[in-house]
Amino acid sequence: MSVPPVDPALPAGTAAIERTGAPLVSPGASSTLLPIGTDASTDAVTPPPRQGVGERLRWLGRHLRREWQLYVLLAPTIIWLLLFLYKPMYGLQIAFKDYSIFRGVAASPWIGFEHFHTLFGSDQFLRALKNTVIISFYSLLIGFPVPILLALMFNEVLNKTFRKSAQTIVYLPHFISSVIIAGIVITAFSPSAGVINTALGWFGIEPIYFLTKPEWFRPIFIGTGIWQEAGFQSIVYLAAIAGVSPTLYESAVVDGASRWQMMWKVTVPCILPTIIIMLIIRIGSILEVSFEMIILLYQPATYETGDVVNTFIYRQGIQAGQYDFAAAAGLFNAVVAFVLVVAANSISKRYSRTSLW
Amino acid sequence: MTGVRLEKLVKRYGDVQVVHGIDLEVAEKEFVVLVGPSGCGKSTTLRMIAGLEEISDGTLSIGERKVNDVAPKDRDVAMVFQNYALYPHLDVAENIAFGLRIRRVPKEEITRSVTEVAAILGLTDYLKRKPADLSGGQRQRVAMGRAIVRHPAVFLFDEPLSNLDAQLRTQMRAEIKRLHTRLGVTSVYVTHDQVEAMTLADRIVVMSGGRIEQVGTPMELFMNPVNLFVAGFIGSPPMNQLKATIVAGADGPEAVLGSKACIPLPAAEGLHAAIGQDVILGIRPEDVLLDGDGERNRVPIELELVEPLGSEALVHGLVDGEPFVIKTDTYGDISHLQRITRFHVDAARVKVFDAASGAALYRADGVAGQARGQILDKARARAPDTARLSLPETSRGQA
Repeated sequence: MSVPPVDPALPAGTAAIERTGAPLVSPGASSTLLPIGTDASTDAVTPPPRQGVGERLRWLGRHLRREWQLYVLLAPTIIWLLLFLYKPMYGLQIAFKDYSIFRGVAASPWIGFEHFHTLFGSDQFLRALKNTVIISFYSLLIGFPVPILLALMFNEVLNKTFRKSAQTIVYLPHFISSVIIAGIVITAFSPSAGVINTALGWFGIEPIYFLTKPEWFRPIFIGTGIWQEAGFQSIVYLAAIAGVSPTLYESAVVDGASRWQMMWKVTVPCILPTIIIMLIIRIGSILEVSFEMIILLYQPATYETGDVVNTFIYRQGIQAGQYDFAAAAGLFNAVVAFVLVVAANSISKRYSRTSLW
Repeated sequence: MTGVRLEKLVKRYGDVQVVHGIDLEVAEKEFVVLVGPSGCGKSTTLRMIAGLEEISDGTLSIGERKVNDVAPKDRDVAMVFQNYALYPHLDVAENIAFGLRIRRVPKEEITRSVTEVAAILGLTDYLKRKPADLSGGQRQRVAMGRAIVRHPAVFLFDEPLSNLDAQLRTQMRAEIKRLHTRLGVTSVYVTHDQVEAMTLADRIVVMSGGRIEQVGTPMELFMNPVNLFVAGFIGSPPMNQLKATIVAGADGPEAVLGSKACIPLPAAEGLHAAIGQDVILGIRPEDVLLDGDGERNRVPIELELVEPLGSEALVHGLVDGEPFVIKTDTYGDISHLQRITRFHVDAARVKVFDAASGAALYRADGVAGQARGQILDKARARAPDTARLSLPETSRGQA
């Protein structure tokens, strides 16, 4: 396609219209033809290609003058992000310093990777890391599918009253404070008056001290997490199911699909992108085991299986006052989470065309 | 025989009745198009045939079998939806094969059927593509492929071309027509586009307000609409409607417009109108003469706009203050159309409708005998003392 000549009198970046009514052409973009009637001032939206810094700054000025209302709306979020998420990152440097609370962040001397050497030489940290990975893995393996199954089950319940009641019941634990949840769990598993041990007693089983036995900590913790959050997490999948076009089901009905077949051949594949997004998010937080629930449920007797990186950081940083050492552990946590998210996103993008970015 | 028969079919949602006992018989291999404006009940009727809506009352038979309570999968019907209803996670081949896989058809047979259908629809090169990678027309072909591959007794189409652009719609329309000719499967097709209805249908069913207004071949509906609704719906641009009053002229009855223009009504069998009766004259945009001569049939028009369409043009204007459209050949020039101040009506083609009820008063073939009888009764009741006009049988076939 031939490119009509551009009027040199026009400012750079401004599109020109041929007198003959031919398409609009942006200078410097010979293959980009815009239809007649396109706003000739589109340069305010798209930065001019291949221009100098001065020209780009002038474009930015014009753009800001034109769209300032949008930036005003955006400002509170940007300020919040800068203040509470980016500014604290300044303190991350203490992971590489011999930090003293009296000298402050800037004046503390650099010691390189010493804290990291100590960290990986610490049995306690390695144990916490192992526990974190094991608890996260099982939480993911068992806990991740539960909300999906719940959503699929809710979707199949035709009686509205029953469905709403069931949904309310499973959403409820999410709104209860973790302290109360932990209280309920501790009471339920109590060897003297707990409902679990009472029930076991009916079968002649001796009371088990569940919360002091390391082998029971992980199942109880993972089960509690599922009970507390699965219902609420199912809302995301219910919303995804609601977004599936009803004609896909109608088409499947005419094709002869049963409800079971529709669930597995229509619903699940259609909400798969949502499942993958949620999985990427979960993988990103694989080292972020629910800190407060662990703190509330564990005790020295169950450190062996219950102490995780976050509780280790808490004990070392806050209780023992080793802020620099705890910062190193925290930074390690964040780097691993970042690598996991990027990896999961890339894999998902490659194989399922679904990704966070 | 695998026709479809609807007897007194009713659909109610709670207290609201949306389909009011319709009767229709679709013959084997026939292509019937249900057409009407939004909310007229055409899609609901189609969905009742498919089994996607429960039938509130009446009987639905496919072939010789009553299927009111038969599950959709056992009705031996296949449906093509407006938004294609393709599974986004399956490729073209898997989408086409979906119904067969559900029915546990052997793999070799599925492969053979899919290959065959893909060849018919020109999809062979796209079998491994996902719906997202296809154009609108290709998606619609996949949707049709999914219906064809099952070899159903009846095809149901629910506005399948509505999501396509004008050019693609014309192309796909022709493909559907070719496909029907080739496969010869009984088809029920729903659309709100009268051009689609005219071009595809063996018979058209015009619906309005949950009732059937008229059933007939496209040309029957075009030439002999039973009421103003059908007259206004079939034909593009729609039939012009002018208010007039019947008077007795020297050579027979005449219709006088508000502008005092006088149009002698064509003499034909079965015009039942009374002197002094208010009527609506239906004049097709193409039944207008611009080079006519004489005082009779001459109607003044206030020109508003000329729309050139190439070989023909649409002239928009006002007659008696009402919009009026003329469709005329341009002969490569529209300058003469800019000076129009009057036109002549091809009186033999004028349709006459009762102003109060909208029913046709003028029919030559008796297709809408019942409707005509009803309107006759109404006309007589309103003007018992006026003389009934009996017209000589001269222009048969035109009215």
